[in-house]
Amino acid sequence: MPRNETIAELGLDEYGYDFVTEDKPVFKSRKGLDEDIVRQISAHKEEPAWMLEFRLKALKIFESKPMPEWGGDLDQLDLDEIYFYIRPQDRMEHSWDDVPDEIKDTFEKLGIPEAERKVLAGVGAQYESEMVYHSLKEEWEQQGVIFESIEDGLKKYPDLFREYFSTVIPTADNKFSALNSAVWSGGSFVYIPKGVKVEIPLQAYFRVNAEQMGQFERTLIIADEGSEAHYIEGCTAPVYTTDSFHSGVIEIIVKPNARFRYTTIQNWSNNMYNLVTQRALVEEGAYMEWLDGNLGSKLTMKYPSCFLVGEGAHGQILSIAYASDGQHQDTGGKVVHVAPNTTSQITSKSISKGTGRASYRGLLKVYEGATAAKSNVECDALLLSETSRTDTYPYIEIDEETASIGHEATVSKVGDEQLFYLTSRGLSQEQAMTMVVRGFIEPIARELPLEYAIELNRLVELEMEGSVG
Amino acid sequence: MKIDATAGGAMRLIDPERALAAITGLNEPETLRQARRLAFERFRELPMPTRKSEEWRYTDISSLRLEDYEPAIPGLNGDRSRGSETTGLDELEAVPEPVREVLARSRERSGVWVQVDGVTVYHRLDDDLAERGVVFASIATVARERPDLLEKYLYTSPIPEMEEKLWAAHVALLSEGFVLHVPRGVRLPTPIHTFRCITKPGILVSTHSLVAVEEGGEATCIDEFMSPDLPEPAINLAGAELFGGDGATLNYISIQRFGTGVKHFGLQHVTSQRDSRTVGVNISLGGDVSRADVTSHMDGSGSESEMLALWFGDRTQHFDHHTLQHHAAPSAHSNLLYKGALTDSAQSIFRGLIRVEPDGQLTDAYQTNRNLILSDKASARALPNLEIEADDVRCSHGATVGQVDSSQLFYLMSRGLSRRQAERLLVFGFFDEVLGRVPAEGVRDRIREAIEAKIGQSGSSVGSA
Amino acid sequence: MGEFTTVASLADVPESGLKTVQVDGANLVLVRRDGRVYALEDRCSHEEFPLSAGEVTGDQITCALHGARFDLASGTPKALPAVLPVRTFECRVEGDEVQVRL
Repeated sequence: MPRNETIAELGLDEYGYDFVTEDKPVFKSRKGLDEDIVRQISAHKEEPAWMLEFRLKALKIFESKPMPEWGGDLDQLDLDEIYFYIRPQDRMEHSWDDVPDEIKDTFEKLGIPEAERKVLAGVGAQYESEMVYHSLKEEWEQQGVIFESIEDGLKKYPDLFREYFSTVIPTADNKFSALNSAVWSGGSFVYIPKGVKVEIPLQAYFRVNAEQMGQFERTLIIADEGSEAHYIEGCTAPVYTTDSFHSGVIEIIVKPNARFRYTTIQNWSNNMYNLVTQRALVEEGAYMEWLDGNLGSKLTMKYPSCFLVGEGAHGQILSIAYASDGQHQDTGGKVVHVAPNTTSQITSKSISKGTGRASYRGLLKVYEGATAAKSNVECDALLLSETSRTDTYPYIEIDEETASIGHEATVSKVGDEQLFYLTSRGLSQEQAMTMVVRGFIEPIARELPLEYAIELNRLVELEMEGSVG
Repeated sequence: MKIDATAGGAMRLIDPERALAAITGLNEPETLRQARRLAFERFRELPMPTRKSEEWRYTDISSLRLEDYEPAIPGLNGDRSRGSETTGLDELEAVPEPVREVLARSRERSGVWVQVDGVTVYHRLDDDLAERGVVFASIATVARERPDLLEKYLYTSPIPEMEEKLWAAHVALLSEGFVLHVPRGVRLPTPIHTFRCITKPGILVSTHSLVAVEEGGEATCIDEFMSPDLPEPAINLAGAELFGGDGATLNYISIQRFGTGVKHFGLQHVTSQRDSRTVGVNISLGGDVSRADVTSHMDGSGSESEMLALWFGDRTQHFDHHTLQHHAAPSAHSNLLYKGALTDSAQSIFRGLIRVEPDGQLTDAYQTNRNLILSDKASARALPNLEIEADDVRCSHGATVGQVDSSQLFYLMSRGLSRRQAERLLVFGFFDEVLGRVPAEGVRDRIREAIEAKIGQSGSSVGSA
Repeated sequence: MGEFTTVASLADVPESGLKTVQVDGANLVLVRRDGRVYALEDRCSHEEFPLSAGEVTGDQITCALHGARFDLASGTPKALPAVLPVRTFECRVEGDEVQVRL
């Protein structure tokens, strides 16, 4: 068991994130949301008229939609207290040397390993609401890979952008997709050309920095025919005294026979409302995988989705949720089978500790005509304390005779026999518990890139400290 | 008070004031009158559930106007000759032929009750059971002779919000209900078998089964619902409150085999005390719409609840089963197995919740829903939910949707069976897992007969040639 | 293939606007755009919400409930969450009459 100091040094202790670098935004909107603010955002971004129109329409739709009554408790989320736009810099950075020391300092404290920074081919680091650092390895540029901030994507590739933007997650999809559509700022625009295989994951680190600032990242990814790529998004936030709010929209189009994996490790501070819509359109013979880790936030509502619209498309969702004191992780996955011979697998593992609550919410829908569709859902929940809570709410809607669907969920506590066995082998109660929890999440941890897997394991160790007796 | 509710036909609910006056003007004990009044007011206040509510997301009854149906309440339309007093009816003449057929097949029954369009036409309880203190009588009779029983049990079940409107209508418009009370230590050797028949279109029948088995007692009760195919719709509201005392054994089987036209709403609530064992079985075969809300409250530690169901849907039949396994006490065990087979354009919904309260430590709770789809137009929805607030529990649920195993099908066909016969055999095989867990052999036989009759009639590919 | 039936007068269908009509128990939404009139079943293929509650942008109609979009001419879905087409009907303008072939 590493000492606490070690973890803090590595920047993995949650309080290790509790720092605020000096706040020097160029433009900060006033609190709350109205048409003026939307116009200001659009003007600051020098957007085409259609985007301003799109935003204004989205604002109206947002205002007309009721707050969801299901999922987590949103009563204390006061949108009038949120800053909807802050822009820290006027221009994008193009090389590491140009990145201000202040921001480098932030990354330092976030504990991004030195070696990894060097290896990272393209880093879309989002500081506050904008991409501040953005570079691509030369070979990718030669391959035609586009990895831009969403703003630059709109400016540089207007036709490609407009063809796909908001087709996977339309404004009116839900209240928070409408909100994001009105005030989006920051995020990535990615295009992988036909047949291109990107070996090293595309990564975007970002963090919320200003108090009460909302972050409305918008990401649009197109993986063209036969391409392959892996995108990683990880985030963390300093602890503040008032609630924070993050509401992203991630749209992905996976063209025929492409393979795409999107990994999120979310470790927001425990005052964050994290309401994200993530959806992929998966075409013929294509493969889409969501790997979704939810460790932080006060409340997360996030259900990565795959719409399998092409024959033989495959959707895979791996979800891990960790709910500690005061946290509610309302997460899961959705798969919609539209075409024949589509297959999907959802694996969810959740751990509830203290007063934490982990809820699995899922949808599995098979349309008539999706012949021989196959899907399997497995949810396992582990309860660590008497006061913990876990829920499972899957929806299964099958309109196709030849579909074959299975859903299974289990809830358990750490078994006394397991603990007894491990402690009889000389482990302390706490070490034994940690080992059991690690074993429980192992099926998902092993799918993570090494540095994330290490980080996850360290987090488990940290969280398990003092959990016994 | 004479209510002119029959002018131009029968009393309906279109004029609520007059309807209230009519149903509270019946010659009934005050407790029942009061229950009707309160329920009627609640019924008027509550909106009809819409698809916006999670519990009614897949079954749209928002346009179902209960007001358009004639409540089948004995005595309401000036007909007092029968119904209000049910003891002493021992002639089988008034019993419909299909019921007589069932009765003739086996004589192993402790008691029988036959209701036609809400009116009791036959009723019997074995003499020796009556001597041992078993009560099997109409609610009205029990209200007069054993008011203590009604006070303790009638309408005391926790009613989930989702069925409040229907429950209110059920209580306000009760046709007639029975009470089966089994005193401490008494064990019924054979089942009580009741039949509720609908013969007329356009009516709303509401029946109630109150079964209370006291400490150490044992009873099995079969509620069988039937009708011919009706040219116009009719509504059946079937309430059941089932109480298992400490160490009691209670088996309750509902067999719903209405004809076309009937919309059936079953509202069943089981409450289990310490170390009791209850088995609730729902067999849903008939009707156009068949909804069952089944809750099992394990209030006593060590109680055990087995929840079983099977349904077979054809045509455009719509089945909707909602279940709750409510673990409020420690060391209780519940095990649910619901299986449905669907052909033609039939639809089914299963929505089940295992809820474990903080006190429900050492709970074992399982929930399984399996669906067999036999045609390209049939569809199934499964929503198996868990809400767990205790940590030392073992809970799991599973749901599957699939088709018959083609290798088994081809094997059977290679042995000379037609496709229909082979499919039919496989459906029986699919149901066998449920039937095997139904407690008494006699009851299993009755269920098999009912399923055979249904599959035999079905015009679908699963029907017999 | 059925006959053309007059379902509305052209004056009742505003340019870039929507008009609902009932024909043989079917609910249709008529859309007039650039001198042409389109007829679609007034029901989103996603959750059966009436499309007439939505709006027309360019050559697409957007469902108000979840934002699904459909091509006016073919009914094919252009944005999730809809994945199935909406039924369309052949439609012509004869004089002042809008006619639909059912």
